[in-house]
Amino acid sequence: MRKPDGKIVLLGDMNVGKTSLLQRYMERRFADTVSTVGGAFYLKQWGSYNISIWDTAGREQFHGLGSMYCRGATAIILTYDVNHPQTLVELEDRFLGLTDTANTDCLYAIVGNKVDLSEEGASENWEKEGHSSGPVGGGCVSPKVSKQVRLEEAVALYKKILKYKMLDEKDMPAAEQMCFETSAKTGHNVDLLFETLFDLVVPVILRHRAQGPPQTVDISRYKPPGPAKSGCCA
Amino acid sequence: MSTKAFTLVSAVEPELLMGDKERVNIECVECCGKNLYVGTSDGSIHHFLLEEQPLPAGTAAFTATRQRHRHLGFRKPVTELRAASALHRLLVLCDCSITLVHMRSLEPVPSGARIKGAVALALNENPVSGDPFCVEVCIISVKRRTVQVFMVYEDRVQIVREVSTPEQPLAVAVDGYFLCLALTTQYIILNYHTGVAQDLFPYCGEEKHPIVKRIGRQEFLLAGPGGLGMFATVAGISQRAPVHWSENVIGAAICFPYVLALDDEFITVHSMLDQQQKQTLPFKEGHILQDFEGRVIVATSKGVYILVPLPLEKQIQDLLSSHRVEEALVLAKGARRNIPKEKFQVMYRRVLQQAGFIHFAQLQFLEAKELFRSGQLDVRELISLYPFLLPTSSSFTRSHPPLHEYADLNQLTQGDQEKVAKCKHFLMSYLNEVRSTEVANGYKEEVDTALLKLYAEADHDSLLDLLVTENACLLTDSAAWLEKHKKYFALGLLYHYNGQDAAAVQLWVNIVNGDLHDATRADLYEYVVDFLTCSSDQALVWKYANWALQRSEELGVQVFTKRPLEEQQNSFNPDDILICLKKYPSALVRYLEHLVMDRKLQREEYHTHLAILYLDEVLQRRPGAGGKDADLTETQAKLRRLLQKSDSYRVHFLMERVQGAGLPMERAILHGKLEEHEKALHTLVHELRDFPAAEDYCLWRSEGRGPAYRQRLFHTLLALYLGPSPSAPSPSTPELAVAAVDLLNHHAAEFDAAQVLQLLPGTWSVQLLCPFLTGAMRDSIHSRRTAQVALGLAKSENLIYQYDKMKLKGSAIRLSDTRLCQRCHSPFCEPAFVRCPDGGLVHTHCAASRRADSSSSSPGART
Ligand SMILES: Nc1nc2c(ncn2[C@@H]2O[C@H](COP(=O)(O)OP(=O)(O)OP(=O)(O)O)[C@@H](O)[C@H]2O)c(=O)[nH]1
Ligand SMILES: [Mg+2]
Repeated sequence: MRKPDGKIVLLGDMNVGKTSLLQRYMERRFADTVSTVGGAFYLKQWGSYNISIWDTAGREQFHGLGSMYCRGATAIILTYDVNHPQTLVELEDRFLGLTDTANTDCLYAIVGNKVDLSEEGASENWEKEGHSSGPVGGGCVSPKVSKQVRLEEAVALYKKILKYKMLDEKDMPAAEQMCFETSAKTGHNVDLLFETLFDLVVPVILRHRAQGPPQTVDISRYKPPGPAKSGCCA
Repeated sequence: MSTKAFTLVSAVEPELLMGDKERVNIECVECCGKNLYVGTSDGSIHHFLLEEQPLPAGTAAFTATRQRHRHLGFRKPVTELRAASALHRLLVLCDCSITLVHMRSLEPVPSGARIKGAVALALNENPVSGDPFCVEVCIISVKRRTVQVFMVYEDRVQIVREVSTPEQPLAVAVDGYFLCLALTTQYIILNYHTGVAQDLFPYCGEEKHPIVKRIGRQEFLLAGPGGLGMFATVAGISQRAPVHWSENVIGAAICFPYVLALDDEFITVHSMLDQQQKQTLPFKEGHILQDFEGRVIVATSKGVYILVPLPLEKQIQDLLSSHRVEEALVLAKGARRNIPKEKFQVMYRRVLQQAGFIHFAQLQFLEAKELFRSGQLDVRELISLYPFLLPTSSSFTRSHPPLHEYADLNQLTQGDQEKVAKCKHFLMSYLNEVRSTEVANGYKEEVDTALLKLYAEADHDSLLDLLVTENACLLTDSAAWLEKHKKYFALGLLYHYNGQDAAAVQLWVNIVNGDLHDATRADLYEYVVDFLTCSSDQALVWKYANWALQRSEELGVQVFTKRPLEEQQNSFNPDDILICLKKYPSALVRYLEHLVMDRKLQREEYHTHLAILYLDEVLQRRPGAGGKDADLTETQAKLRRLLQKSDSYRVHFLMERVQGAGLPMERAILHGKLEEHEKALHTLVHELRDFPAAEDYCLWRSEGRGPAYRQRLFHTLLALYLGPSPSAPSPSTPELAVAAVDLLNHHAAEFDAAQVLQLLPGTWSVQLLCPFLTGAMRDSIHSRRTAQVALGLAKSENLIYQYDKMKLKGSAIRLSDTRLCQRCHSPFCEPAFVRCPDGGLVHTHCAASRRADSSSSSPGART
């Protein structure tokens, strides 16, 4: 198995559609999924690079695995469900902490999925009518509801993340470029999401090749000065 | 869906092990080569020798024969056993102490070396010391939160490191300097050399039995939350997706490419390649599952069993036969590391091919093609599926064991014609793609012949392309097939490609004649003519020349006229051809034209013959004049052109024919050829009254001659115009006078004006001849002026010479008594002398004698 050149990790609460997004992109289809157990990964050939994409489990039970999956990540996709504001809150409260093991120059994308479920142009209406209308309570039974999370909130989170990571906004891709609203069901923005990331990941891979990964200690390579090995015939 | 990857066989029956001691339980096992050790709850070690008997189905049976057994003298169970075969030692953990015993005798080493205070141990299978007579052992110490690393030699042990851990360790595995530890709340990787620790993930090891298992270089398998089997490298990274076990796993083992796990009721088998569960074996009361150098052993508290892996190839074949192509490929590819390269390639290629046929049978041609390509399928395997496509001469036999289960396409499609057509279409495109690649190397004949057959059957246009380009179609096979499908034109191409032009042409001729039916080419006759034209086979051309000419003289004659020139020059004899063409008059004309005009042959016969043929036609057609005027004038024009241009025909002979035939123009030309200009012009002027023709005649005949000749001709013409007409002896008719005027005015330069003026009747006005006269005047003035210029120039040239002469004569020469002749050195007695160019003076006679001297001496001097 060839070692991948870069790693992208999908994080986010259960049921937001991480597996569906990946399946839509890799297999060009939308089919029923079961809640992910543990994690799964895909290898994507992008140009001459092999990029591994990890799909993690959003279930609380597997939360502890997140840090390990994120270790050495080149990019992380934080996913929420545009119809469930809580899933965006969880990104900050529960998932952001897991990304501490990622590379210090890790890229972040924030993805609001399932836009197909909210009304066409719902966000505009919402803005015009102020914050009063929209079936906020009562669960999401009706097939078309107003979008509950505005893109601006994702943008705000993105900026917050950069602050939290002490990254300079100037050095990182703009929030507008890194916040997506997608639908795994219709495929809306899915290719854009992944391919934008791949394109951003490649220069990072090249930079790492040139300089070595920034501030990650590769303990596996460490060879202490020990007694010289004696050849078997000696 | 399940695979059968392992079979469970008994290794040591409970009776053999414990006999009737019911209270005694198995605590641990170790297997090293043929040696099987069992540690029991009563503090004993049992040694067995395992014999393996392979069974035909790919499994094996084991018989264990009891060797020694030894009680260690503690009333405590033996908790772990580890063999260090290089040292011939067995490490026995019992009562928190690791004892070294001999592998055979099971006697403790005399030195009594042991490691005290250990609750668990792990051997480093990737040792750092490099000393082959030393094993590295890591133990979890009875001391709180402590692990220790030891070097164990034959009869001594040495502690190398003690490391304290953040929490109490519960399980450990080692790889190089890396310890993978299960602590009370999490797993960590600890580099005992540097002390650097890396968290892996949280796990409550006190609630659930942790598993830490080294699975290969720098990689561990860990029991994770929710019954996951997690993979982690020493860098703290997961490189494989987890496998999903049940919540209560007891033990795990690796047997590439499988991960086996044991729980209360089952042994489950997952593939590391795709993380899928592949097999479940019911197994109750198991409590040990371990692998020892590839051998997987599972034990209850009473008996020991072995999980015998089915040979990989058998597993792959099983997957393939249940059409699980993807899995089979993953498994096959995964075996790369475990099989020698050569063997792997053969195996993998075969699997790819088989997989290709499975896709093929499901009409998934894209996938099939890719697999055939990557599996480097012998293309004949595929062709042989299609009845009758392989040449009868092919010695091909399908590979054994077969790559698929189908006898032929009919069986595969169960006679569904639509499917058959799709398969054929696929083969067509596949063969067409591969025929120029290395896939076809060595099988070009099979490929091209099959392709030909498919094309012919499907009435595909590419059939002809195939046959007219380089191909390796086998003649007999292809010919029979083409005949069967009535592709006679193509058959001809095939014959031609194989150098049998005669057969090819015969076929085509039969088609043209309607004896065979094949509408491939509507213009087949033209094609055959072209073909013969290009054929270098003279006999063939002669054989079909008559046929070609009979159908169309115009086109047929091309077999002679359109041949490449070089070839004509040295093969076909024009005389033979002329004989052949006797029966085909227009072909004959064409051919002669070709000889005379295109090839510019100067043989008199050809020219005369052609002229006669033209003449005959002109004469023949003339009586019934009216209808084919255009044709007639065309022939006549050709005749005239020939008579004018050619110098090779027999003029007198033609003259005889033309005379009295009412062809004055032709006669005029012939007169011209004989230099009988007066007669010629007379005919033109008086018979034909074609004055422009007369003028042209003058120009034509004077071509390439001097101006005097031309003047003579024009004067002759003028004289004719001005002279008496033969028909009416009266002075020149007005018509002729006008012609004369025109002639003079148009060709002023061709006349000697002075002569002309004498001829002209005095009655003509100057006005009438104005252009002529102006021309003549200008001419004469021009020549006068030119002459004057020449004269002036000559004079000035003369002057220059005079000047030179004067210069030379310039100074006076004084002749006195003192002046001596340069030659005879005597004084001048007369006033006459000669002055040499160098200024010296000599006597006239001396000069004369010197000239004589020098001319007589010079030959001598020159020698
Ligand atoms: N309408 C709609 N449904 C979606 C979309 N994406 C996912 N779903 C559905 O949401 C449910 C959860 O999707 P998953 O992709 O399994 O979610 P997940 O994030 O992988 O969940 P975990 O694996 O448990 O973390 C499934 O029933 C999907 O069919 C989307 O874009 N639109
Ligand atoms: Mg999922």
